[in-house]
Amino acid sequence: MIKNFTFILLILLTTNQALWAKESLPTGLIHLDGRQAPPLVLNDMDGNPFDLSKLKGHWVFVHFWATWCGPCRKEIPTIQAILSEYEDSNLKFAIINTAESEDLIFEFLGIVAPDIVPLMDNDGLVTERWQPRGLPATFFVDPKGKLRYLALGGRPWDKDIYKDFLNKMR
Amino acid sequence: MQDPTIPTHNQHNSDFWTGFSVLLIGIFLCSPLQAAEKKKNTYEDEDIYLRSVYRSPEQLAAFYEGREFPKAAIKRIIQSCYVTIILKNKTDDILWLELDNWIFEQKSKIIQRYNRTYWNQQWDEVKLQQSHRSTFGWTLMPEIRDLRPGEGVGGSVPIPMQTENFSLTLNFATGKDKKGKLKSVKLPKIHCKQDIDE
Repeated sequence: MIKNFTFILLILLTTNQALWAKESLPTGLIHLDGRQAPPLVLNDMDGNPFDLSKLKGHWVFVHFWATWCGPCRKEIPTIQAILSEYEDSNLKFAIINTAESEDLIFEFLGIVAPDIVPLMDNDGLVTERWQPRGLPATFFVDPKGKLRYLALGGRPWDKDIYKDFLNKMR
Repeated sequence: MQDPTIPTHNQHNSDFWTGFSVLLIGIFLCSPLQAAEKKKNTYEDEDIYLRSVYRSPEQLAAFYEGREFPKAAIKRIIQSCYVTIILKNKTDDILWLELDNWIFEQKSKIIQRYNRTYWNQQWDEVKLQQSHRSTFGWTLMPEIRDLRPGEGVGGSVPIPMQTENFSLTLNFATGKDKKGKLKSVKLPKIHCKQDIDE
């Protein structure tokens, strides 16, 4: 009897563990394998340095985009809409423009997302190293610096289902 | 005192609203035409959504000029024809985008597409800077992609400029191990858009 009980308990615990490891995600997000995030050392548009490795202990929203990409143009205002909500939280944002000039970015963001100060991947090589599946792409780096989730294409981050997801990281 | 040569957000806003008004009028005048064009170039079934977009050399040149590409690079770019495809996997399984399985054909003759190796050679010849190589590369369709359920992708597939219509057959393996049923869609009559088309 005790043997049977222990067996059932073990099954339950294992199942629960598996469910935790593969919790359901909002549409368009997938689990990643937890490999170490590539280096991300860039300056932002104002010249301030950024180094992902200094954000250990925080979740990081790592987003790649460009002004010419249609889905990026649709998505970036939704990022701007949520930025202030996470200002002092455990979730940090790294918004990286891929290989565009300051003038183009300034003109674009000035209109649609003036609070965003992007990191400048001037030659596009950092983006290539991260190997996004296309632009836009959003990776989630966990507090240990591992890649945990990837958003496929553009997502409406200001919608409740995505905010609920982000709130778990705050 | 602020340097008058540095544009402010307000100046950009003014330019923006002028441009935006012109754009709105343009959209108002052109939208029925554009909707018809979009419908004509769209294919959809229970597995896949697919849309093709065509740009003339002049449109392409304008795009890259706006991104400060040098003339030598633009000259190379506009010598090719770009078939831009936007597609979405509507199945519950993996749909394999593999450009090597896409067949461009004209009167039973295969048209070879220009792959990334070709473009790297072009860019080496004109000494194109890395940022422009990167931008151009991201506008191309990925060579291979395991499209997840619901995932979309878009990009251009360059081929040599054609004066006559041609077909494109898009073949997709399915399933994680590519052993599912082959999905195939044929776009029977497509063309390279010329400036005179507009």
